[in-house]
Amino acid sequence: ILTLQGTFSLQTGITLKGSAEMVAEFFSFGINSILYQRGIYPPETFTRVTHYDMSLQLTTDSKLKNYLTNVVSQLKEWLFECTVQKFVLVITCLETNEVLERWQFDIECDKSAKEIRSAPLPSSAPRDKSIKTIQDEIRSVIRQITATVTFLPLLETPCAFDLLVYTDKDLMVPDKWEESGPQIIDQSEEVRLRSFTTSIHKVNSMVAYKRTDL
Amino acid sequence: MDLEDDTTVLTTLKSFNSFIRHSEAPQRLSEHSAGSVSLQSQYKRSMELLEAAEKVQSKNRYLQLDQEKRQMELSHKRARYELERAASDSARDFEHEVDRNQDLLGRIKKLEERETEEAKNLSEQVEVNRSLRKNLDGLNRKVEERDTRLNTANQTISSLKDEIRELKQKIQNQDSAVSSHTLENQELQEHLDLQRRKYQEVSQLCQSLQAAQSSCSEHIITIKELERRLALQEQDFAIVKNIKSEVARVPDLERDLKRLREDNAFLRESRENCSLLKEEVEGLRKKLERTERTKEELVNMELEKERVAEKLRAWETIGQSTGLNIRKPEDLSREVIHIQQIEISLKEQNYTLNSRVRSAERSQAELRAELSKQRGRTQEEQKKREAQDALVRRLQKRVLLLTKERDGMRAILESYDGELAPAEYSPQLSKRLREAEEVLQRTQKHNVEMEGQLTKAQEEAGTLKLQLHAVELEMESLRKQQASAGDGSSSETKEEVSILRQKIEDLEAERQSLEQQNNVLEMRLERHNLQGDYDPVKTRVLHLKMNPTATAKQQRQQDGEALREEVTRLREVVRSLRDGGAAAALQDESGLSLPPPKEVLDLRKQMESSELRNQRLKEVFQRKIQEFRTVCYVLTGYQIDITTENQYRLTSLYAEHMDDSLLFKKGSSGSMQLMETEFSKTLGEMVALHLHHQKSLPAFLSAVTLDLFSRQTTI
Repeated sequence: ILTLQGTFSLQTGITLKGSAEMVAEFFSFGINSILYQRGIYPPETFTRVTHYDMSLQLTTDSKLKNYLTNVVSQLKEWLFECTVQKFVLVITCLETNEVLERWQFDIECDKSAKEIRSAPLPSSAPRDKSIKTIQDEIRSVIRQITATVTFLPLLETPCAFDLLVYTDKDLMVPDKWEESGPQIIDQSEEVRLRSFTTSIHKVNSMVAYKRTDL
Repeated sequence: MDLEDDTTVLTTLKSFNSFIRHSEAPQRLSEHSAGSVSLQSQYKRSMELLEAAEKVQSKNRYLQLDQEKRQMELSHKRARYELERAASDSARDFEHEVDRNQDLLGRIKKLEERETEEAKNLSEQVEVNRSLRKNLDGLNRKVEERDTRLNTANQTISSLKDEIRELKQKIQNQDSAVSSHTLENQELQEHLDLQRRKYQEVSQLCQSLQAAQSSCSEHIITIKELERRLALQEQDFAIVKNIKSEVARVPDLERDLKRLREDNAFLRESRENCSLLKEEVEGLRKKLERTERTKEELVNMELEKERVAEKLRAWETIGQSTGLNIRKPEDLSREVIHIQQIEISLKEQNYTLNSRVRSAERSQAELRAELSKQRGRTQEEQKKREAQDALVRRLQKRVLLLTKERDGMRAILESYDGELAPAEYSPQLSKRLREAEEVLQRTQKHNVEMEGQLTKAQEEAGTLKLQLHAVELEMESLRKQQASAGDGSSSETKEEVSILRQKIEDLEAERQSLEQQNNVLEMRLERHNLQGDYDPVKTRVLHLKMNPTATAKQQRQQDGEALREEVTRLREVVRSLRDGGAAAALQDESGLSLPPPKEVLDLRKQMESSELRNQRLKEVFQRKIQEFRTVCYVLTGYQIDITTENQYRLTSLYAEHMDDSLLFKKGSSGSMQLMETEFSKTLGEMVALHLHHQKSLPAFLSAVTLDLFSRQTTI
């Protein structure tokens, strides 16, 4: 549930903090949807909730929840500092240790919002995006993610997932985080999906999957 | 009167009814009469009828009221009559009652007299009663007084007795108390004495203790002082040692000192020398530098000298080279001035020529402009002329058309005139005339419009022609300028142009190829971006250490290892099962997780049960054997032991020594033979008798027992 305190100021429209929160919330729900859709975790461990005016699936596994909250909270901080470039969900096959699917979200941050935090902007027109429009855009993105089921290949082997974050090089690595490879798929097909923007952050979504030569 | 009333009522009713009937008849008659007059009369009649009806009604009421009044009077009278009767009856009753009253009064009086007499009697009796009671009371009181006195006396006696008893008890108690107190006193005194003695002893001890403590403390102080002195002495000793050692070192130090002082002095001198030398060195260096500089200057000066000499020579030879009369520089300067003057004059000529050229050019340009203007004007005039010619032609055409129309109209008119006589078609003709006029007008308007458009088009064409002409003139002028500017360089410009064109084409081709390359690279970049590539210089990929993939992999590894361990264990079990048999496998099975088959369990149970049975049987056999042996020993008097195979040792109950025993051996045929022992040697007679003669072992044995028994009992 979004609290509007500090997320939307009447003079300037949406604030940097609010935008970061909205994007982080979208990622949290999006990842849950992807995990449910692709069957990484059994469907009985998910429960239905309503958000963005649609019904979404949220996991009840405590370990997984813990992991997700850790990642998303750190991501929120980085979004606020505008140091994150991409956010990737990688699905690996446990038997062969191959990467089968890669959900990538490119994040473009308007850095000018960072400097002027509380003072009103001279041109307030581009920031006047209502939360309703942003939520509509997010809803269409999540619907599209659900629709990808039609062309993505089945995941028959047991799989595990990992979350990667592409950040600026000069950033200080927090403890519990370590550097990793990009985990690129060998021989992949890529599909670009919809994007949405909060007028401060723009999120482009795309999915890459391993080609199944039949 | 009533009847009269009724008749009057009836008569009035009759009259009323007849009146109504009369009134109704004329109403019927007048129904058919027309108009509102009948209605008014009807209305009046109805009103009159109504009034009459009301009057009749009031009369009826009046009559009714009269009747009622009369009835009421009647009833009044009857009531009065009855009341009078009642009154008379009541009067008679009243007289009766009065008589009775008087009788009763008389009786009452008599009774009252009797009452008074009785009351007197009563009072006398009461007085007598009272006196008697008083007597009684006095006697009673006396009796009571005596009783009370008796009671009080008794009470006092009892109380006095109680008091006596109590006092006696108290005395006894007090005696006992006194005795106990005296005993206690004695005890306490003894205690006191003891305590005092103890106190004295303790005080003495205390004093001694204190003395000892004081002495102790003094000793401690002395000890501390001594220790301090010891420490100081040790320190002094150590210091003394150090000083001695130092003292030993002193002469060496003095020698070193001397040496050092000498060195110091030497070093100072050397330092001074050093400084002096340094100064000298610096001075020499400066001198060196100066000399070097002077040398360089010398060299430069010599070079300059040579140059100057050369120049001089050149100057000296100028006069010879130029052919002028130059011997001195003054002549040179004169020549130079002369040349300069010539130059100036030439420049002036140049300037004048330039100005002339420019003016000529200006005039030329003006003339050209005038030319162009004139040409323009001529063209305009030509155009005007043409327009006017066109106008003229148009007008002529119009005139022709008009004449034609006129002719036509005339013809029509004539025809119409010819045809006019027979019939009158004035309106139709007028109409037709009008229509024709309208058509004419329309066509004329159309004509006018077309002519207007034509003129506009011609004007535009004229302007365009003018512009064309102007542009052509400019082009010609430009061409002429180009031609005048550089006739020689036209070919070069053409070459340059061609070269530039080639360059442009090459650059265009390069640009296209570069664009294609750019597109291809962008596609690749996009593809890589979609795949997830990144620039390691600017970005870094992070993930949490404890992520689900890592934990899943670890889990898989652990599962794999556990499975492998189980597999090895199972293989070992299988091997042992094949080699060792069920029991060994069962024993080693402690670590196995497999459930043992049912057969093995049954066999185990059977085994255990059989072992138990065996054990129990063994115990039972042992007990029985033990019993049997003891019974045998007791009954026969011999303890039979099996020493080795087929050898039996018999020990008698009455044996004198522990080692006295008989050995028997069982032969192969089954017969028992006596072996030689020490004991058997003593029984030679019995052996001979019983065994050799009688050949009976039991007899021998019993004889031995009897013999031993007899020996024992006698002893």
